[in-house]
Amino acid sequence: MAFESFTWHTKSDALFDFKYGLNLAIDSGAKSLLIFTCQQNNYPEDELNTLLSSCPLTIFGGAYPMLTLKDTLIEQGALIIGFEEDLDVSVFSDLYNLADEEHLEALITSTLEQKNNFSGQDNFLMFYDASINNIENFIDCLFECLDHGINIGGGGSGNLEFTQYPCIFTNQGIHSKAVVLVALAKQLNTSTAHGWNILQGPFLVSEAQGQTVQSINYQPAFEVYSQAIEKSSEHQFNNQDNFYDIAKHYPLGIEDINKNLIIREPISTQNNQLLCGGNIPVNSMVYILGSKKDNLIASTEQAAISVFTGQENIYTNKSLIKNEAASSTTLIFGCVSRELYMEDVFTKELKVIAKHCPTPALFGALSLGEIANCKSGAIRLLNKSIVICSW
Amino acid sequence: MNQALFIISLQHELAMSIGNKLDLKAMLKVFLKVSFNRLNLTSAHIYVYCDHGGMPSKLIPGEITNSQHFLSIPKNKRGHPWAQNATLDNFAQQLNTAQQNISFQCENGQYLFGFIIPEHGLLIFETHFLLDEEVQKALQPILQKLATSCYTSLVHDSLVKEMRSRQQIEEKVVYQAQHDGLTGLFNRQHINQLLSNAIVDAHSNKKIGSIIFIDINKFKPINDAMGHTVGDKILCTFANRLHSLSSEHINIGRFGGDEFVILLKDLNINYQEVISLLIEEINQLLTIPFVIDANSYKLTCSIGYALFPLQSSTVNNLIKFADIAMYEAKRAKSLQGKIYLPAMSEKIKRRSTYVNDMKQGLEQDDFQLYYQAQYNHYGEIIGAEALLRWQHPIHGMESPAVYIPIAEESELILSIGQWVLEQACRDIAKLQKLALPDSFKKIAINISAKQLAQPNFQDRVIYAILKNDIPADRLALELTENLLVENIEDSIKLIASLKEKSIDCAIDDFGTGYSSLTYLKRIPASVLKIDRSFVANIAQCSESAAIASMIISLGKTLNMNILAEGVETQEELNCLKDLGCYHYQGFYFSRPLPFEDFVKLLN
Repeated sequence: MAFESFTWHTKSDALFDFKYGLNLAIDSGAKSLLIFTCQQNNYPEDELNTLLSSCPLTIFGGAYPMLTLKDTLIEQGALIIGFEEDLDVSVFSDLYNLADEEHLEALITSTLEQKNNFSGQDNFLMFYDASINNIENFIDCLFECLDHGINIGGGGSGNLEFTQYPCIFTNQGIHSKAVVLVALAKQLNTSTAHGWNILQGPFLVSEAQGQTVQSINYQPAFEVYSQAIEKSSEHQFNNQDNFYDIAKHYPLGIEDINKNLIIREPISTQNNQLLCGGNIPVNSMVYILGSKKDNLIASTEQAAISVFTGQENIYTNKSLIKNEAASSTTLIFGCVSRELYMEDVFTKELKVIAKHCPTPALFGALSLGEIANCKSGAIRLLNKSIVICSW
Repeated sequence: MNQALFIISLQHELAMSIGNKLDLKAMLKVFLKVSFNRLNLTSAHIYVYCDHGGMPSKLIPGEITNSQHFLSIPKNKRGHPWAQNATLDNFAQQLNTAQQNISFQCENGQYLFGFIIPEHGLLIFETHFLLDEEVQKALQPILQKLATSCYTSLVHDSLVKEMRSRQQIEEKVVYQAQHDGLTGLFNRQHINQLLSNAIVDAHSNKKIGSIIFIDINKFKPINDAMGHTVGDKILCTFANRLHSLSSEHINIGRFGGDEFVILLKDLNINYQEVISLLIEEINQLLTIPFVIDANSYKLTCSIGYALFPLQSSTVNNLIKFADIAMYEAKRAKSLQGKIYLPAMSEKIKRRSTYVNDMKQGLEQDDFQLYYQAQYNHYGEIIGAEALLRWQHPIHGMESPAVYIPIAEESELILSIGQWVLEQACRDIAKLQKLALPDSFKKIAINISAKQLAQPNFQDRVIYAILKNDIPADRLALELTENLLVENIEDSIKLIASLKEKSIDCAIDDFGTGYSSLTYLKRIPASVLKIDRSFVANIAQCSESAAIASMIISLGKTLNMNILAEGVETQEELNCLKDLGCYHYQGFYFSRPLPFEDFVKLLN
């Protein structure tokens, strides 16, 4: 039976302490290590690079805004999880320009061919640099090239300013503009939740390009968005200064054919346009969403129940393929903006997950974008959501 | 209201995704991707109607056409391509037969929805939910638009294909027009064109250029002896090596045969230095032996060049000048390359005049045959070699060493050779009427390469014999070792055929030429003539004696008579006798004599 053989964390931001933990992990008998560090640590890059590239065990992970361990939030420090299996790690690096589909497909195909197209491997964790432009092209292409019926969970690493810095860890050191796929040896179950509801809409996205919405209902996007919010609340946008302070309460939702909402978080505004955390297609219908913190927590609890009991997982039907062996590990990717929105209440989300979690290991990262399969099986980039991965 | 807006926005989004690319597959892929995401599909597939060649085509009314799997998202299901999926394939066949929208619930609870792309193919969506009737209806105008776009793509594809094939043909024609078929280097015409352009550029840019002629030395013997396949391989290897020198300023071409040219452009005042370096590089390319079919060939080349616009600004002149300089380098056996000098043209002009003089000489009977008697060791005359002499009206008696090589360069050698043959036969006829000593056997004449290459050479010899009514065994032909080796197989056949008709052949200048020992056994010649260079001072020079001894024993083994040329002293004669050589020719016995004097000598 596979289980995590080692869990270690520190709240110290000193590389010295991390090094101590890494040495413990190396001596623990684990064969591979998941390493999460807090983005605030500011570990000297060169030294961390040397530490990682000289590690004798297989490693993967990244630097995230914050980490979680059971029901605790870790704002600085690091987390190391050891696994008994030597997990297979694939790196897709130098993803500077994902606009050229042919180039991207060639890159993914050649990497997959080296791995024999992951023959017999259907369960993956994905860690990626959130500063990669248009990661959705990558996951669309990955899904196309991989297979029908894979299970995947993941989250974007990096910093809240979305500036580029090396934040993905492998045995080659720290990477920027890279995606890491880890093939798990066991069945992965995922469940996702957001808890956001429709406040206003629908609106027609009349002009958009990638993550930028230029116009809604044929009017400048920011104008429509800000007026709709200002009319129905006490919030007043003061140009760009307080944009995110207000926008974090009012994400956009794209309604799909099954009436599910795919959340897209407006991150900033420029020239009356809205820059979001994921693609919004032209001609799609969007809603302005809102929620109460309790609703967010309740939806997270539903997701936890679903993933741990295998019942009524509303996003994936993978739990129907029941694990022969019980899950031993739970990894959470929670959107960092949920924490920014819920502030002190955010730990309640962690508590409701911990309450239902039967696995000995429960840990996670606050991410900049989350990855999971939707019910149809396709891989989706989520915003302002939580993905619970259990295996 | 919201549902209506949703349907409209869905229609718009799908419609907008159609026709964004011209290539059929790329166009359909964009559409499938948008459909996949917008309709929450599990998988999406396109089948297209194909023509008999298996290429996508528009459905021809009345024809039964099968649809073929074309595209799927994702590409595989459980590691296997969708094209091999039986459930999908069965559904596609049903859909094709029904020619209307159908749906099907699979065993795993998933649904398949099939739509017809009018006249072009099938669209299949796999979902985990029932697709609303409303949505299905909303897809109809989209399918029509998709069909139109498919047609546009097919037309575009066929246009692209036609353009590509036309372009390829055009490129091929242009390539063939500009390149040499064997080596792939530029051909004569294109080099001429490039040279013409380079001359213009040199004028306008105030630059200097050079056209360099390269001729592989002794290539012909290899080509003749080893066959054209080997020769061609050598040419291709050399062409490849030369090609490594090509650059923006250096064009390489093949003019034909073993002649290559290099066009060197944009030279400055240091042009001589650059050209010398290039010649050094060309020679360097030849230092590595040419290994063809396990045989190794070591080659050299002769190089000549001319400069533009310094020496000329016309293509024809420059080519001519470089060619002249190359021949001058070949004559001088120089590997350093020779620049064209006007004196070379003067020399050629003089040669041309000289050739004309020779022609005139032939017409005016200024040529004469002298006969140098050949002896046995008893001092008896056994025969004679007919030697050509020319009484030049101005220069007096000309040396054959001067005029024979010149005659050999022109076709004149054929006329001279024919005259020699006929005159010798006439003289033999005269001799026949005299009382000849018993020891006297035959008169030998020298045959040139060009004569031997004449397809009717043997007929000409026979004709001359018959015409003069002389016994065939009174005439012998002398062929040099080099001449034989140049075309060994034909030479062997010719000599054998002449021998059947009692005409003997002698191998002249033996020991000086290309290594023919391998072939010697196969050459049915009767006499081996030891070259004069091994006879001179044979008593003092042990090396010459060793070579002569080797030739003598070789001749004996092969049952050939051995005759030593250029015997001038008693000492040489004694030495040759000691070595076992019993036939001689040389000043020690007799100088070449006019026919009348030779007759006296015989008597």
